[in-house]
Parts: sequence; C-alpha cells; structure tokens
Amino acid sequence: MTDEPLLAVEGLRTTFETDSGELVAVDGIDFTVERGETVCLVGESGSGKTVAVESLTGLLDQPPGRIEGSVRLHGEDLTDLSARALRRHRGASIAYVFQNPQDALNHCYTVGWQLVEAIRVHEDVTKAAARARAINLLDTVGIPEPASRIDEYPHQFSGGEKQRVMIAMALVTRPDLLVADEPTTALDVTIQAGILRLLDDLKAEYGMGVLFVTHDLATVSQIADRVVVLYAGTVMERGTVLDVFERPSHPYTRELLACLPGHESGLDGGARGGIAGSLPDPTDLPNGCRFAPRCAYAEAACSAGDQPAEVDLADGHTVSCIHYEPGDGPSVLPAPADSAAEAGESGTPPTGDTG
Amino acid sequence: MSDDPLLSVRDLTKHYTTSRGGLFSRKTARVRAVDGVSFDIYPGEALGLVGESGCGKSTTASSILRLTEPTAGEVIFNGGGREGAARNDDGTHPNDVTQFDRAELKTFRRDAQLIFQDPTSSFDPRMSVGASIAELPLVHGMTDADRRRAIVGDLLERVGLSAADYDRYPHEFSGGEKQRLALARALVLNPNLLVADEPVSALDVSIQADILALIDDLRTEFGLSVLFISHDISVVRELCDRTAVMYLGEIVEIGPTEAVFENPQHPYTEALLSAVPTPDPRSRGDHIELTGSVPSPSNPPSGCRFHTRCHRVIQPEGMDMEQPVWRRLLDFRERVVAGEIDPEAVRERLRARSGTSVAAGGEIDRGAASDGKSPGADADATAGTDTDDAARVRAAYDLPATVPDPEVERAVADAVAALLSGDGDRAAEGLAEAVTTPCAGIDPELTDHGAGHRAACLRHRPEFDGFDTGPV
Repeated sequence: MTDEPLLAVEGLRTTFETDSGELVAVDGIDFTVERGETVCLVGESGSGKTVAVESLTGLLDQPPGRIEGSVRLHGEDLTDLSARALRRHRGASIAYVFQNPQDALNHCYTVGWQLVEAIRVHEDVTKAAARARAINLLDTVGIPEPASRIDEYPHQFSGGEKQRVMIAMALVTRPDLLVADEPTTALDVTIQAGILRLLDDLKAEYGMGVLFVTHDLATVSQIADRVVVLYAGTVMERGTVLDVFERPSHPYTRELLACLPGHESGLDGGARGGIAGSLPDPTDLPNGCRFAPRCAYAEAACSAGDQPAEVDLADGHTVSCIHYEPGDGPSVLPAPADSAAEAGESGTPPTGDTG
Repeated sequence: MSDDPLLSVRDLTKHYTTSRGGLFSRKTARVRAVDGVSFDIYPGEALGLVGESGCGKSTTASSILRLTEPTAGEVIFNGGGREGAARNDDGTHPNDVTQFDRAELKTFRRDAQLIFQDPTSSFDPRMSVGASIAELPLVHGMTDADRRRAIVGDLLERVGLSAADYDRYPHEFSGGEKQRLALARALVLNPNLLVADEPVSALDVSIQADILALIDDLRTEFGLSVLFISHDISVVRELCDRTAVMYLGEIVEIGPTEAVFENPQHPYTEALLSAVPTPDPRSRGDHIELTGSVPSPSNPPSGCRFHTRCHRVIQPEGMDMEQPVWRRLLDFRERVVAGEIDPEAVRERLRARSGTSVAAGGEIDRGAASDGKSPGADADATAGTDTDDAARVRAAYDLPATVPDPEVERAVADAVAALLSGDGDRAAEGLAEAVTTPCAGIDPELTDHGAGHRAACLRHRPEFDGFDTGPV
C-alpha cells in the first residue's frame, strides 16, 4: 500500500445555478478516509453533508450542479474521469447506503432477484452461483433464514431488515469505501444499534473505509474514528472522536454538543437550550466565519474576510476559528455568559463579556 | 398536585379488524394495537410514553382523545370543571370520555389538545397562521374578531414568535418555528391536557432542545398536564416526571422517570436504554442486543409478550445453562415451531456457505479470497456426511456442538436430524416439548417496586430467581 489514503478530498466545492443566484452547498472542504476507518461527516440539515458525499462520484445533475476540487481514490482523481469511467467506480469501489431503504428497493421484484441482478452486473457468474452468493450476503448481514427469505418481496421485510438488504447489496462488489448517508435515521433505536454494530463488524471484515453521514452526534460518538463537523458547507472542526467530544473547541461544536440531552460537556455551565438563529442563506453567505452571526464569541474581526483558516490544535485536531493559535487548548474560550448565548444575533456582539 | 388524577385510563383497548386472505375473503384477524393499558396523569404532571414503532403509543393517544373509537376500557377526564364527580349507581362514570356524546366531546376537545410530529402538514398552507390558530376560539364560540386577534397575538409572543407573525403564511416559517405555532394553537383554548405525539422527532437537535425547553416552560406557566409520546428515551428523560414503557400494546413498566431509567425492573426497559446511543465515545459496545424483530400484534406471543426477544428469559426448573446459549436455543425452537425453517432452504444455505470458496471467495474471510480459488474436495455440502451437516446446521444457528443439558441435547440432535431429512413437523414436535420456558406460559402481572414504580416481569415472582440488575 502506498502513502495515499483510500480517499482524499481536496477543495471540494459544489454549487448550484438557481434563479436567485449561485447557491453554494459545499464550500471548499477537505477530508481523507483511510482503509478500516470510519469518518463521520456531521452537521445540521442544510449543512451540505449529503451534497458533499454525492459529489464524490458525481451523483448530481450537472448542470445545474457544478463540482470543483479533487476527489482521489487510491490516488486516482475521480473528477477527471469521463462519465463512463466514473460509472465503473460507482457501486464497485464506492458503494452507497441511503436513509430510506424502501425507496431504494424495487417492490415488484423479490429481494433475491435484485441481489442476483446486482451481482451479475458486476461479475460474470452463473445464476446459481450468484444466488448462492446472495444467500451468503444475506447471512452476513444478519437476515435470519436467508435461503427462504431470499424469495420474499421487500414488503415482507421490516425496516431494519430492508436496510440490512441494502447493506448486502452494497457489499456485492466488496467496495473499498462504503458511504452511509443517514442509514439509521429512519429506524428505531433498538434496530439502529444492530445496524451500527453490523457496519462496524463489516468494516473490520472487509477492511473498508466507511464515510458515515449523520446529524446525530450520539450516533457519531458510537461509531466514528474521526469526525468532521460541517456548518453551512465548510469544515468548522475536525479531529478524532475523543478530541471532538472531550475537547470541543469551535463554538459551534460546543453548542451542538450542549444541545444533546444528557450530555455534559463540562465546559459550559449554561443550561441546555437550542442554538439561536438559523443557518445562513446559501445563496448569500456571510463574510468571515459562517457561524459568526449566531456565535456567542463573535467579534468584529469574525465577520471580515473569508472563513478562518484551520488552526492545528493538536495532532490532527483542527478548528476554524480566529480565537485559536496553533497548539491552543479548548480553554482559550471562556464559558459563555448566559445572556450572550441567548442574544445570539449579531446585533449584540458580546465582546465585552469574553474579553 | 391534587389527589384526583386529571386523566385516568383503565384497561384501554383498541383492536383493529383486518381482512385476511384474498380481497373477498371473510376471514378476519384482530390486530391488538392497544391491549389493556392503564395509567394516571395528575394535574401539572408530564407522563412519557416510550416504545418502539408499532407498539401502540400513538393509538393510545388517539383512543384517549377519541380520534379513534377505543374497543373497550375507560378514560376518565377530570379537567375542565368536571372535578369531584362520583361514579353513577350502575358503575359508569360521568366523566368517562368513551361514553361522551357529541356536545360533551366538543367541550372535552377544548380541554385536551394534541400536537403532532410534522408541523408542516398540520397547517393549511393557504391560511395565514394567525387565522389558523384563531379558528379554534371561533369554533368554540368566541365571535369577537378583535379579541381573538389579541389572544392569538399574545400567545404567539409567549411561544417565542411575535404578534406581527399573525398575518404570515406557514411556508415563511422554519420547522422549529412551525412547531412553536403548533404549540400556540394547542394552547389557545387554555386546555388542561396536552398530548404531544413525537413533537420533536422531525427537528434538528439544535432546535429540538429549544422546543423541549419551551414545552417545559409552558407546562409550568399554564399548569398543563402533558402526555408526551416519543421513541426517543433521552428526550423523555429530559422532560417527564413519570414514564411508561410500552411493548406490543401493553405497558411493561411504569414509574417515576429517574427510577425507571436508573433502576429498570423490566428487561425490555433495560434493552431499550442500552440501545440508546450515549454521546460519549468512551462508552461504546456492551449493548444488550435484542434478537429478532417486534412480533406482529395480530398474533402476539403467549405469556409475557417480550419472551421471544428477552435476554433474561427464564430457564425451566433444574436447567442451568449459560443465558446466551439458552436464548439461542429458544430462538431456534421458535423458528422451527413456526415452520420458518424450510428443510430445503437449510440445505441450500449450507451449500451456499461451503460453495462460496469455489464461487467467489468467502464473504467472511475476505483475506483468504485469493487462495480460495481451487475447488475443495468437500465443496458440495450434500456430499458431506450427516454429522458434518448436523454440525453445520448448529453453526448456522449459533448452537453449541453439544448442549450441556442431556435431555435438551437429545431433542436438539433429533430436531436437526429431522430437519436434514426434510421432516420439519417432527423437528417442531420434539423441540416444542423439550425446550420450554415459564415465560411463554404465564402472563406476568405488574409488581410494585416502591414509589409507584411497577413492572411486569415473571422474575419478580418469588418462585423465580429474582431480577438481577447487575450486568447480563
């Protein structure tokens, strides 16, 4: 194996042409995924997580979409490839699992028919061999009685089982990278726990990299090796799961963690409450830090220029915030005053409190 | 809190009849969506109702409000000036919602309000939000338009919006703001009871926290009782004084929220709690994993309804097996008896397992895929000996090579042999007799664990081992 990571994304920028001007969904994000590693992209709805992963293999209509930057898989740049060459990678080296399995399965065909079709598209095998493999795949993803269930239709499977079938289908090609976009959001917690464990087991078995997209920080803490926190299409903070959960540094990460029921980040003593305000308009992004209009620590300098460059706090733990110098700890930011967190809007810069 | 509960639900039952078989079939099946649920809500109290999807939480709510007609049971509502009523001589209660006539129902619905999960679909897109909210007092007889406007404007401010939002339309609001509007609409008639059915499940976590805090504030401000329905335990834990846990149409545990979550007395509550991801990366793994999926409410398991998935399922007297082995034995028995294991399919699965090394490389040991290309001598499972096959069947169902209990071992060996020889019925007969659990035979009653904390598990009966709260 070379030094190249499995997946290296650099300067990924996805925009859409709309009637109200250029909509910037993803604005220059970088991240890498190694083999056998789970990287979580986390953010609120509208933060650009899904568009980012769909941009990897160009799963967007272009135009109106426009994807810039580089996406390298094993060192090969996918953005340079022709549509046909890219198609070879989709499903083969990069497989996707989406949120709603019922939308992704064809309810007119048996589960086995669909799995066998997927196997035979990618491999030149007989129907019988493909069926045997399909049964094994269902077995691998934990469907009981796979040899009888294979002849059933999707409606005969429960929600969790359908998601397991989707995972089986993604495994058909033994992908190098599995992209899971909110795979457990539509499921009950008891079922979710099983699916998360399955993904974790499969990651080890198949030596895949997993890129896991979710808005749920609790899920992130259970499955991630590394975390990338997105806000309005840019990276706010990144690091190992322990860095991000135990030493959250960006004000946004901190507020997001403080929203979690039962989470005590230990840094802010303030009462639990939401984050005031809402995501900025993607057709008219603010100057400076994207989070500044809602940030309790915002100063005049926060709203000037571009999103601050990422500052390296410790090994691989970076934050995009002007309050930090390289090597700083999270204690650089004092606990926010209660009133500052309430005020939220940029009209009342709480610089006096933080100074 | 006064002595009388605001809402008292007794043996509430809702069965749906569905047709079985073809389109014109006369056969019917009863789906026991809610099957004998009882609880009280006191004035100013928030009761959480948690459980997996399909357990009957929402049906319970709509039966209480009589949005669906309950099949049986009593719902006694003592709010809206009905306090202190005594039972009639014939045993009926004047405040029983299930017996209300049209006029009584209309006043009842003023005093009990409902908010839903999806605020977008519960507002008319062609009506200004103010008009939507003001429609309620109009229906209930407030004809003074200026007064309605003043009341609604005041309420909009109390839920964190502004009175000027009266003339705006639903699409101009974000998801969280719409849920605030839904709260304003629920409160405009000054109700005693608010039923909230998954009110924050569709919202981002940053907004969820806001809405929960608002519901909590309004509860204190308006002295509301809240029935809070959610599948999200962490949310219930945050807001509710007491919690009831539902499984397949029944309440399996109820009590003060802290007692239920800190010291669960029912295995289902334990498993549910353990499945909730904690936002702490250091506490991974060690979840209690529930096997199987929720059984169908049209044919619920006998005895304790949870026994088909329970990790604490009781072993019969004299048996002393490791609990996970016992669980897997029961799972195997369950499938054989239900006829889910088709002998032909078992053989196909065995062939598929041993055939992969030839066909495409093992699914499990991917690393060995490259050297697995030469066809092995025993590639075809059907060519192997019977003992090999038997061992493979056991491996496929995670059963040990020999079960420690000699009698059960004989039954399992017979059943596996019967399955391999294609006789599913004989396998089912033998296993059904040899592998039994008291949990399948006895319907557990709710037992008391202090301070109104009650749970329905057989292990609490003196004749069984007792409920071990230690690690499983």
